[in-house]
Amino acid sequence: MIKYDSVTKIFGVGKEAVTALDNINFTIKKGEIVVFLGPSGCGKTTTMRLTNKLDTITRGSISINGESIAEINEVKLRQRMGYVIQEIGLFPNKTIAQNIAVVPRLLGWPRHKINNRVDELLHMTNLEPGLYRNRYPAELSGGQQQRVGVARGLAADPEIMLMDEPFGAIDPINREQIQDEFLRVQSKIKKTIAFVSHDIHEAIKMGDKIALFDNGKLIQYDVPEVILTRPKNKFVADFVGADRALKVLGLMRVSEVTNFKPQNIIAGTDNAQTAHKFLEENDFRYGIVVDNNKPLGYVTLKNLKYENGLVIDVVENYPHFEEKSSSLRDVLSYMLMHTLMTFCVVDDNGDFIGTVSYNDIQRAVKKSYSDEAEKDWKEV
Amino acid sequence: MSTLKFIMEHNQRVLHLSLEHIGIVGLSLIIATIIGVPLGIMITKYKNLAKPVLNTANVLMTIPSIALFGIMLPVLAMVNLGLGKVPAIIALVLYSQLPIIRNTYTAIKNVPPAVVDAGKGMGMNRWQLLKEIEIPISIPLILAGLRTAAVMNIGIAAIASYIGAGGLGVLIQQGINRVYPEMILSGAILVSLLAIIVDGGMGLFEYLVTPKGIKIQRKLVQWESSLKN
Amino acid sequence: MGIIFKKLNRFLLILILMGTGIIAERVGLIEYVIDPNEYPFIIIFFWQHLILVVYSMAIATIIGLAVGIILTRKRFKKIAGVVMYIISLGQTIPSLAVLALAMSFLGIGTKPAIFALIIYSILPIARNTLAGIIAVPPYLVNAAKGMGMPAWRILLEIELPNATSVILTGFRVAMIINIGTAALAFLIGAGGLGDLIFSGISLMRTEQLLAGAIPVTFMALVADFLCEILGLLIVSKGLRLASEH
Repeated sequence: MIKYDSVTKIFGVGKEAVTALDNINFTIKKGEIVVFLGPSGCGKTTTMRLTNKLDTITRGSISINGESIAEINEVKLRQRMGYVIQEIGLFPNKTIAQNIAVVPRLLGWPRHKINNRVDELLHMTNLEPGLYRNRYPAELSGGQQQRVGVARGLAADPEIMLMDEPFGAIDPINREQIQDEFLRVQSKIKKTIAFVSHDIHEAIKMGDKIALFDNGKLIQYDVPEVILTRPKNKFVADFVGADRALKVLGLMRVSEVTNFKPQNIIAGTDNAQTAHKFLEENDFRYGIVVDNNKPLGYVTLKNLKYENGLVIDVVENYPHFEEKSSSLRDVLSYMLMHTLMTFCVVDDNGDFIGTVSYNDIQRAVKKSYSDEAEKDWKEV
Repeated sequence: MSTLKFIMEHNQRVLHLSLEHIGIVGLSLIIATIIGVPLGIMITKYKNLAKPVLNTANVLMTIPSIALFGIMLPVLAMVNLGLGKVPAIIALVLYSQLPIIRNTYTAIKNVPPAVVDAGKGMGMNRWQLLKEIEIPISIPLILAGLRTAAVMNIGIAAIASYIGAGGLGVLIQQGINRVYPEMILSGAILVSLLAIIVDGGMGLFEYLVTPKGIKIQRKLVQWESSLKN
Repeated sequence: MGIIFKKLNRFLLILILMGTGIIAERVGLIEYVIDPNEYPFIIIFFWQHLILVVYSMAIATIIGLAVGIILTRKRFKKIAGVVMYIISLGQTIPSLAVLALAMSFLGIGTKPAIFALIIYSILPIARNTLAGIIAVPPYLVNAAKGMGMPAWRILLEIELPNATSVILTGFRVAMIINIGTAALAFLIGAGGLGDLIFSGISLMRTEQLLAGAIPVTFMALVADFLCEILGLLIVSKGLRLASEH
């Protein structure tokens, strides 16, 4: 847990004094990723640098698990926190293993323990230890270097990680991938993480909470959904962008809106004419074809009308989505591309569990905004 | 003070030796430029010549000056030029090659490829590219090479007095022989002053001929990097 | 064209070697070197020269490194620019002038010569140490600091290793200049191979002057070569790979 209590930072003295942070109060709970978000010069990086005493605090206090950092020796304090920066900062004169081993070595771990830890971390970051242990940073791609940078931050298994735009220097495709990997790792190791970013997409994706800074002040501190659906003022609304409803969709998973009991289900082994009759009687325009509990696609009345064989012969393919990992944003995007209003939802094994439709999505978005409206009303 | 007095009393001779010194250095620098700059440009075009040429210049630079005078002496003595200004100038030209060739080469190679491509895209031929783009952008760095060569040559020319080339080294040489401290000091001080003045003067010249656009760009880069810290 | 040049290289080398041999014989160098009345002196001068170089370089390296390191510490960073300026001013002063000045103030002999050599060799070493450490990217130091490295470890593990090749260049330049300047040390009574060269010139004895000039040149080339080898040994492979990219 990191607690920021009336934190104020003023650079310079007298007439040249600049207030970089003005009375910041918030708490990062154990095991949470909090993204410090805002335009450049807003104070997000300063807040981070105060946390590991790279800059000294002017007024107020920062405490870790109730212990004020003012009481802790700065070198000891930093060794307790993982530190990952945008420039990666791998030491070019050291091998990958030596880079990862820096903090464990500073802490005086025995050699075999360090070696085991290095291999463990390389595995965790998807780098084969036998291949990469003795290489030098210059021999790695940017994405690989940043993975090592993260591994180095995690080396001594610190409770807290400070990450200063850690994925900022990586190309967008690799960035997505590394973000996903990191989230997967974090779901296991549950570190308390302060994460600086200037990218709203990254903040929504990575953050359990977002701390939005502007001009040295903490403007809003909340979970991403609330920041998106209920921006506190015009600055926040502008910063999250006019497409914030779409961003909310990015946060929602398919499982939240799945219709688990759709009526228009047809088995792939059914006779086409039987299926045609079934659809006509129930006034369905199309049917979803499921076979052996796997979604195959869909059929329309027109498909079936003059067909005498099995349904499986005329089925049209279309994409299906995993309930846990797919976001509604992706689903909506496919709906727009395919001009279809319904898709199948599958579980981890690929088994059919229900459908998701345009109406379901729209209802969910409206609901998330009306929830907020209700809350507003209650608070008043 | 007594040194100053010595210089005042022998002002005619001091002036003559200074001019002689400047003459040797100036002439060798002109010859060195005529050889070095085209050579530097050439090795940016014939890339596999770059390494041997630069290495040779590097080895030449490694040879101590008095040893080079010594080694050249018997060779040039065959055509009766072992002593005097000729071997001195030859040695100075040789020593100047490394800074001049290296700086020319680096400067031209470091012209941003995008700028060269832009020139090519506008239909410039090789010669026009060199004249309009590559050389103007490279001038400051080439001049920096000349400056290094000039300062170095002033020092080596002082040693050349021992092979009878004249110049301000004569004051040191004769001062040591006659155990005449004022003479030694005036030689040492004058030759140092000459080096410092030439260094400063060429630095100023370098600044003046740097195209304004490049100066502004440099300032911006400095300004940006100062912001980062 | 370049390929032809390369292929010709070996013939050139043989021609040069043969030429040198013939000249050496013609000017009586070989006779001079094996003359029992002369060769002990050559060896003594060689040792004198070597001692001048080794002593002065050892002390200059220690001082130069220390000055360079101290100037990059936070407290002294403000004066680094001024010191850098003074150093480059010092480097413009000709070597002969430095020796002459040392003699004027300290008299003749080995000690003033070593003193002059030290002063003159400190300059490139200090300058390159300063420049090398300053050129270490600030984010590396930031990363090290943020990970909890104490300042002395940052210096030893990050700053100096990443500045090594620049420092080594300074050391090499200092060494080459030092060997050349030590050849002039004879003029202020410190002996060395300069004795043979200067005496050879003034007496117009080619064989004597070559007996001095060739070993001095050889010493400089070997020192240059050794510095290159040293670079391969002490510059991290990671940095060499990085500079190739």
